[in-house]
Amino acid sequence: MSRQIVLILLLGALFAVFTMSIIELEGLYNAFGKEYFLEYGQSDTGSNNLVTAILLDYRLFDSLFEAGILLIAVSGVIWISKHDIEEKNARFMIDKFKTPDLFITFSRLVYPLMLAFGFYVIINGHLSPGGGFQGGTIVATAILILYYIDADKETNIGLIVTVEKIVYLLIIVLASVSIVTRGTFFTNFFPLDATQDTKAIYLVLLNVLIGFKVALGLWTIFTAFLKEGR
Amino acid sequence: MVNYITDLSLIDYTAYALQFLLIFIAVAIVVHKNNGTIIILIASFSLVTASLYVINNAPDVAIAEVAIGSAIIPLIYVISISRQREFIVLDKAMDDFIISDNQFTGIGYILLKRFSDFYHLELNITNDPLLCRLGEGKDQILCEQTNVDLIVSKDPASGEYILKGKASNILMNKLEQMTKDYDNIRVIKFKDRDFGE
Repeated sequence: MSRQIVLILLLGALFAVFTMSIIELEGLYNAFGKEYFLEYGQSDTGSNNLVTAILLDYRLFDSLFEAGILLIAVSGVIWISKHDIEEKNARFMIDKFKTPDLFITFSRLVYPLMLAFGFYVIINGHLSPGGGFQGGTIVATAILILYYIDADKETNIGLIVTVEKIVYLLIIVLASVSIVTRGTFFTNFFPLDATQDTKAIYLVLLNVLIGFKVALGLWTIFTAFLKEGR
Repeated sequence: MVNYITDLSLIDYTAYALQFLLIFIAVAIVVHKNNGTIIILIASFSLVTASLYVINNAPDVAIAEVAIGSAIIPLIYVISISRQREFIVLDKAMDDFIISDNQFTGIGYILLKRFSDFYHLELNITNDPLLCRLGEGKDQILCEQTNVDLIVSKDPASGEYILKGKASNILMNKLEQMTKDYDNIRVIKFKDRDFGE
């Protein structure tokens, strides 16, 4: 009984602190950042999509670690699902798992469209909603559908992970080029007064690399899941 | 101007309706028992959330939510659940306990069939020669590293049949209960080891 009372009191205290912090936030709130990005965002970064402008230019340092988190997550999944014995899973007397024919036919129709839409979202990341992460996820889903079409598809996980790591290094290198041309880390390597189209080259390059990396990372996670029961 | 205000309130009403729908779906996910239905409900939850993001002027987040929440997560769940539907038994005993006269009529088979029907699992019996050749000491490693759920073997000294499985598998407790009445069947549960041990 006393434990429950203490618990209720603690919850009440937590709720009070939470409410107070919201009241504090109300006083701290101002539109300075929003107005700054609206006014200078497009000319500073060359991106029509302000989310991409913040993600790939103003706060690129944060984005690099976000991409790193996915790399660490992939390593964790591979480590947990690692098997020491090669060819270890049993061949069954009765194998009943079969994908429906309708699903396979439909997947063959949808697969190229999904791939094209994924690349569209990646490449147009600086013009329309979307970007490397979202487009990479769509491409990864398209690749996953391939496994439903052909269940016996073999994948070399080691190669995919190696390419993913190299791409991550390339992202860091591309983000650091600006130290040579502009004198600051983690920003666009074209000068500040370049035209919007010139600056877009950097954004497209970085979006493609991030999309590539995300697609490879999610592909590895799928393969780990698929191999688990085969 | 009037038209603009009515348009705005319509969006507000839509947002309220979607939020109620969200609570409804969330409760349904918790209440439902069928795994397939739950996957569809999770996917629809993400779709409703994504439309709420669009209403709140965040299309970037909405695309990520649709791609991850209603495509990747349901597909991963489908893979995991299709793997979980089977109960895989490795038959090392190789006598009439499970297969007699090339037919599944042994007493062990009837027992395991009743057990897997109880949990709506598909019974899958294998006698893969590669795995059967491994020694007794390798049984625990076999259970941990492959998708075999249960190993059936015979004790040559006492003639008892031994069913081995992981202790973390809650189905093993039920199996132990069911085989309590049989004198010639013994259940052994492997303790789980930590990673890297």
